[in-house]
Amino acid sequence: MRYGLAKTASDAEALAKAARIEILKMTSRAQASHVGSALSVVDILSSLYAGGANIRNDNADSVDRDIVLLSKGHAASALYSVLAIQGFFPLDYLQSYCEDGAILGGHVTSTGVNGVELSTGSLGHGLPYGIGIALSRKLYGMEGNIFVVMSDGECDEGTTWESALLANHHKLNNLIVIIDRNRIQSLKDTEETLRLEPFKDKWEAFGWKVHELDGHNHLYLLAAINETCDGPKVIIAKTTKGSGVSFMENSVLWHYRSPNSTELDSAIDEVLAEK
Amino acid sequence: MRDTFVKTLLAEAKVDPNVVLITGDLGFGVLEEFEKELPSQFINSGVAEQSMIGLASGIASTGKRVFVYSIGNFPTIRALEQIRNDVCYMNNPVVIVAVGSGYSYGSHGYTHHALEDIAAMRALPNMNVVSPADPVETEVLTRFLVKDRSPSYLRLGRSGEKVLNRNIPDIVEGRFNRIFSGEDGVILFTGSIGGNVIAAREALMSRGIEISIYSVPFISKISAIDLQALDNTKPIVVVEEHTIRGGLTSAVLEEIALSRLEMRIIPVTAKQNNLGNIGNQSYLRDINGLGVDLIASYFLER
Repeated sequence: MRYGLAKTASDAEALAKAARIEILKMTSRAQASHVGSALSVVDILSSLYAGGANIRNDNADSVDRDIVLLSKGHAASALYSVLAIQGFFPLDYLQSYCEDGAILGGHVTSTGVNGVELSTGSLGHGLPYGIGIALSRKLYGMEGNIFVVMSDGECDEGTTWESALLANHHKLNNLIVIIDRNRIQSLKDTEETLRLEPFKDKWEAFGWKVHELDGHNHLYLLAAINETCDGPKVIIAKTTKGSGVSFMENSVLWHYRSPNSTELDSAIDEVLAEK
Repeated sequence: MRDTFVKTLLAEAKVDPNVVLITGDLGFGVLEEFEKELPSQFINSGVAEQSMIGLASGIASTGKRVFVYSIGNFPTIRALEQIRNDVCYMNNPVVIVAVGSGYSYGSHGYTHHALEDIAAMRALPNMNVVSPADPVETEVLTRFLVKDRSPSYLRLGRSGEKVLNRNIPDIVEGRFNRIFSGEDGVILFTGSIGGNVIAAREALMSRGIEISIYSVPFISKISAIDLQALDNTKPIVVVEEHTIRGGLTSAVLEEIALSRLEMRIIPVTAKQNNLGNIGNQSYLRDINGLGVDLIASYFLER
């Protein structure tokens, strides 16, 4: 981290606030899905891009940069907003999100988008890929951490648990997984769909260092990210789907719906009013 | 073919530290030397093919040329979406190597028969499908793939394939490799079924019929120029140890249509109607429409 924890956390706070507004505008304008997922994960991404990860526009090509993979590709609007605000590409790109011929689409694509390391959209792909980078860096003496940001629903995928074995087997202490644990997946609560709990115990049983914390608290996130350990680490970030907009919070509906203009105005007011 | 591949890859990997070999926990008696000589360029990912492909692509994204080794359908159809998204979409330099084309693992049963793999791999963007006919082509193509950076699929037989090429061929990407010349017809084939193709040619020779034989090692890049050069006044037979849907036959027909060529082909492909068939490769070829006599019969008065 370039600056102190407190300074980075406050930068992350400001970044998340600005990104929330962009996310709301993008999804409303495009009438796109997954606003709830984006609002859920945006604090995690903000913590990383505000300095939790060593990745900025000015070191995006360096071989020892930290790498962030957003495996829950449906939260593309969150990643794109954060990257645009941090100067990886022009803010203008956000305006045409999901339009015909646009650069930015509804799921994360790396094609022609500076700062995006992996195209995603089908769940369970980010972690094996991230393990590949982490293992290569470890085997061949390259620096830099790999962050894989996943959804909790994604932990239904077999590749997640294949990967849990792989990362621990190779003692990948340059790998940090952050799970956006908002407890809601496509149709229902995760525990009603395919029970994940006791979630922390599962990761610990696979040999991972586990942190469980408030996924909207940048200080907690950054402290957990910063802690060094001798194997892979997972941060179970307890979040609220639709976080920051009361009428979107904890609702499956906002996995699909996009705000109309009245809803957009009141959502932005709420975000701005938050301290 | 398998041993030639591993031997060639080891020789290349010794001089190029960027070559990495990953196995999906297969290759007993085949990969030990590689692991012993180059332990830092060798990874066993365990029996987890889907994650193995993601892993391979992640490693490839750091500048490595990654070869992923397994058998049958495990590194291809089992991990199809990982190949599509993580390798082809990202356009990373991964080579998927499957040992056991067609009925190589005959007595193991249908789970181990690779009869739809070309179709699956050929459908993917950026994917170069490479299928050597014999150990000689295997060596040449392995060296080619080490230098190349494209996502690729290397389809190999198993072991004991006869040498068909009398000289080391000068193989050009996307072109056919002529193994024999003749005036009385043409066979295009891919892979280790070449053994039966050559046997059919020999049987025809004894009856005074001499046909041309072409190996087609680059299945996703069929050359219209090479097709056009064939004598279409005589039978042109396409032979592959793969279903008719999506393999070499399909690739040739697509090129004929796209390039508006005036020619017809006779497909000789693996039947898929008796999935429970058990037996050695030669037996299964015979009962599934790939026998030597059947191949030869297309050049006789019928």
